[in-house]
Amino acid sequence: MNFDKLFEAASKKGIEDLQVYFNDSNEFDISAFKGELDKYTIASTQKLSVKGIYEGKMGTVTTEVLTDDVIDFLVDSIISSAKTIESEDEVFIYAGDKEYKKIEGLYNESIYDVSAKQKIEDALELEKKIIEKDKRIIMVQTYYGEGSNKVRIRNSKGLNLEKLVNDAMIGAQVIANDGKDQRTSFEYIRSNDYADFDYEALASLAAKKAVALLGATPCESGEYEILLSKEASASLLMPHVSMFSAESVQKNISLLKGKVGEVVGSSLVTVVDDPFMKKSAKSGAFDDEGVATSYKELIKDGVLTGFMHNLKTAKKDNIKSTGNGFIGRGISPTNFYIKPGEYKHDDAVKSMKKGIIITDLAGTHAGANPISGDFSLQASGFLVENGEVIRPVALITVAGNYLDLLKDVTQVCDDLKFNFGYVGSPSLLVKSLMISGL
Amino acid sequence: MLERKLIKKVLREALTTNADFAEVFIEDKFQTDATLLSSKIQGVNNSKEFGIGVRVAKGYHSVYGYTNSPKEEDLLKLANDLAQSFPGEPVGIEFSLEEMKVGNLHPVKILPSTVSLEEKVELLRRADKAARAYSEEINQVSTRYQDYVQNVWIANSEGTYVHDTRVRTRLAIASIAANEESKQTGFYGPGGHYGFEFYSEQLNIEEAAHESARIAVAMLHAEECPSGKMPVVIDNEFGGVIFHEACGHSLEATSVAKGASVFSGKKGELIANPLVTAIDDGTIPNAWGSATYDDEGNLQKKRVLIKDGVLTSYMIDKLNAIRMNDEPTHSGRRESYRYAPTSRMTNTYIDNGESTFDEIIAATKLGLYAKKMGGGSVNPATGDFNFSVAEGYMIRDGKIAEAVKGATLVGTGSETLLRVDMVGNNLASAQGMCGSLSGSIPTDVGQPTIRLSEITVGGRGGAI
Repeated sequence: MNFDKLFEAASKKGIEDLQVYFNDSNEFDISAFKGELDKYTIASTQKLSVKGIYEGKMGTVTTEVLTDDVIDFLVDSIISSAKTIESEDEVFIYAGDKEYKKIEGLYNESIYDVSAKQKIEDALELEKKIIEKDKRIIMVQTYYGEGSNKVRIRNSKGLNLEKLVNDAMIGAQVIANDGKDQRTSFEYIRSNDYADFDYEALASLAAKKAVALLGATPCESGEYEILLSKEASASLLMPHVSMFSAESVQKNISLLKGKVGEVVGSSLVTVVDDPFMKKSAKSGAFDDEGVATSYKELIKDGVLTGFMHNLKTAKKDNIKSTGNGFIGRGISPTNFYIKPGEYKHDDAVKSMKKGIIITDLAGTHAGANPISGDFSLQASGFLVENGEVIRPVALITVAGNYLDLLKDVTQVCDDLKFNFGYVGSPSLLVKSLMISGL
Repeated sequence: MLERKLIKKVLREALTTNADFAEVFIEDKFQTDATLLSSKIQGVNNSKEFGIGVRVAKGYHSVYGYTNSPKEEDLLKLANDLAQSFPGEPVGIEFSLEEMKVGNLHPVKILPSTVSLEEKVELLRRADKAARAYSEEINQVSTRYQDYVQNVWIANSEGTYVHDTRVRTRLAIASIAANEESKQTGFYGPGGHYGFEFYSEQLNIEEAAHESARIAVAMLHAEECPSGKMPVVIDNEFGGVIFHEACGHSLEATSVAKGASVFSGKKGELIANPLVTAIDDGTIPNAWGSATYDDEGNLQKKRVLIKDGVLTSYMIDKLNAIRMNDEPTHSGRRESYRYAPTSRMTNTYIDNGESTFDEIIAATKLGLYAKKMGGGSVNPATGDFNFSVAEGYMIRDGKIAEAVKGATLVGTGSETLLRVDMVGNNLASAQGMCGSLSGSIPTDVGQPTIRLSEITVGGRGGAI
C-alpha cells in the first residue's frame, strides 16, 4: 500500500492526525513425533493497524488486505469509529521522543545459517534422546519454531520508526507412565541464537521432570510452607500483571491503587519491566504508540514505586508515558519479572520443615482473580518433610491472595526463568498457603 | 476471492512431488468490535482479515503454509515450497472442482453490514444501564459487542469445493459489585450463529445484564468456600464446561490418535456412569458452534460420543482418521487461515436425564451447588482438570444454603464421568471460546443439572 495516498485521503476527509502501524512477519514451525516430522508450517503475513483523530476522538481499523483500493474503507472506518466513541479521554498521536535507545541483539541473522533440514534433524534427535533417558517415558513430542517481526510506525506528525526482531525456541512435551500413573512435562529454551539450544540439557531436564511426578497423589489439607518453583511463580504472576497497569488503577480495578510508596511485598521482592533485555522478541526501544521505552522497577525492595503507562493514562496522571502502550492490549509489559535473589533452590528445600514444592499450577486464567487478588488453583509438586522430598503430590488446590503472598515471601532464589508470555520469576519460598487435598 | 482456475493451479503445484493430498483454504472475514466501560463507548474497531492457507499431505503427514497475498506467483511459490517436503515422483492425482451447493443451513436474517454502528453500540448502553439498575452495589460494568462475517472457500485434490458463510454475534457483559471489603465479578456472554436479529428475536438484553449483575452481587455477600471432598451439583448451561474440558478434549483425535489420551483405545467400553449420554452436534440450527461445513469442506454432523456410558465415537478430522484407521467425523475446525485444521468440538453437551433440579438438591445432604462455572483447563494426557466456580452455594440438608466464593473443582476426567450419579432434565447451553492447537474457536457447552457423587473442592474457607 502506498502510505502517502492513505495520509492524503485521511487528511482530505478531515482526519486531523493519522498513524499507521505496519507489521511484517515470517514464521517457521516444526514438530517431531514418533521419529517423524509431525508438523511443518511456513508463513508470511502482513497486517496494518491504523488510528486517526477525528473531531477529538480516536478511530481505529485493522486490515490484512493491503492494496490501495482499501484506502477509502480505512478512512471511512476511522471516521465512523471516532464518531461513535463517547469516552472523553484525551487522545494523542505522538510526535516522538528525542532519543531512542539502541538495543543490540534483537535480531540475529545467524539463526538462518542453520538449514531447515538440520533443524528438523535436531528436533527428531531430541525426541530420541528423551525417549532413551528413562523406560517409563512412553511418548515425546518435540518442537522447533522461529519467527521474525518487522514493525514500522509512521504518523502525520513526522514520526518514522522501524524495528526488526526475531526469536526461536525448542521444546519438548513428555508423557511418562509407570503402568499405574501417567504424568507429563513440558520444557523449552527460547533465544534468537541457535548456539543457546542445548539439546542435551533440555532432554535431561524434560525426562527428569516427567518421571518425577509419577505416583503423585493428594496430600492432607492444611496450611503448608510453600516453595513456589520458578515456573509456577511465573504462571501465577502472569494474571496479576494487570494490577501494575495504570489503566486498571484509573478504572479502580487494581488492588495496588493508592499504594505508591507503600510496602506491598516482602523487602526481598523487586518487580521489573525491562524492554532492553537481549534476545527477547518483546524488547524494543519504542512501544506501539511510538513512545521511548524505559527500564522500571515497579516494586523495589517491597515498595511500590509506580505503574505502567501509555499516553492516555500518563496524561491523566500528568506524567510521561512509560512506553507500555501496545496495540490490542492497552497497557502491557515488555519483559516482566520478579528480580532473582541469591538463594539456592536446593537450600530452600533443605530449609523446609513441612512444606510443599509447587512445580506446576494449572488454570491460572480462570482460578486467579486479579481484581480481588484471590486465587484457588490446581497444583502439583512434592511433599517435603525435614528438608527431604518425601513424595510427589497432585490433584491438590492451593489457595491464597496474591498480595498476601508477596508479603509472605521469605526467600527469593537465583533461578529466574521466563514463560511464553515473557513473564518470569525465580523460585520463591513462601511462609504459608492453604492446600486442599484429602 | 480467488478464481477457481487459480485454486486448481495451486493444488496442482502442491502435487508436483510425491504428496497425495492438497487443500486450499481461503478466508475473508470482516469483524466489528465495540466496548463500553464507565457507561461510555470506549472503542470501536473494524477489522478486515484475509488470507490463504495451503495444506499438502502424504498419508497422515502434512505440511502447512499461509499468506495474505492473493498473488498467483506468491501462492505457487508457497505450494511449491510445501511440496518439497515430500520428495519423489508425482502420484498422478486427477481431480476437478465442482462446487457442492447445499445452501447455508444456518441462515441469518439481518447481516451485520446492514446495521449502523450506532444501533450496535446502543445494545451496549442498554446492557450497561440494566446491569447498573439491578443493584446499588454494582459499581462498574464492562460490555463488549462483537459480530463477524467469515467467508471461507475450501478446495482440495479430492474434488471438494465449498463456500461457507459464518455469521456470528455475541454480547459479553461483565458486572463488578463492590463494597468496602471486596470486589466480585459476574459475567454473562450470550451469542449465536445469527445476524443482528439475535438481539430482537433471541436475546432479552436486560435479562442478560441482570444475570451478570446478579452473580456479582451474590458473590459479594458470599463466604469463602470450604475445601475437601464433597458431592457437587453442577447446574445446566455453562456447567457443561466440565464435560467440555474434562472429557471433550480427551475425545478429540488430536490427542486420541497419538495414544496420548486416557480414552485412547476405549471405544465400546464403559467410560461413564450409564446415566450419561454425551453429544457433539455441529448441526444445531444457528448455534454458536454450528456451521454448514467443517473447515475441511465436509458437511457438519451430529456425533454421539458417549451412549449410556459407553464410548461410541471420537471426534476425528481427515488426517487423524488415516492415522487412527477410523472414519472421519467431519470435526476439522480452525480459528482462521493461520491454522491447519484439526479435530475440535462444536456444540457439546450431556443429554437430558430424568431427575428434576429439586430432586437433585433434595438428595444432597452436604455438598456444593455450582450454579455458574467459570473457566478451566485440562491436561489431556492425564485427564487432570480444574475449574473455577463463578457462583456457588453450599447445600445443607437437601436445601440450598449460604453463598460461597473462591471455589475450584479439581479432578480427573475419566473418574469424573463415572461419578456422575444424577442427571437432570433441564438441558441448556452457553457460549464459550475454546483454545487448542488450531486456535480459538466458538463452541457451545451444555448439560442439564448433574451431580457428582464426590470431587475435590478447593477454597479458602477451611476444611469442610
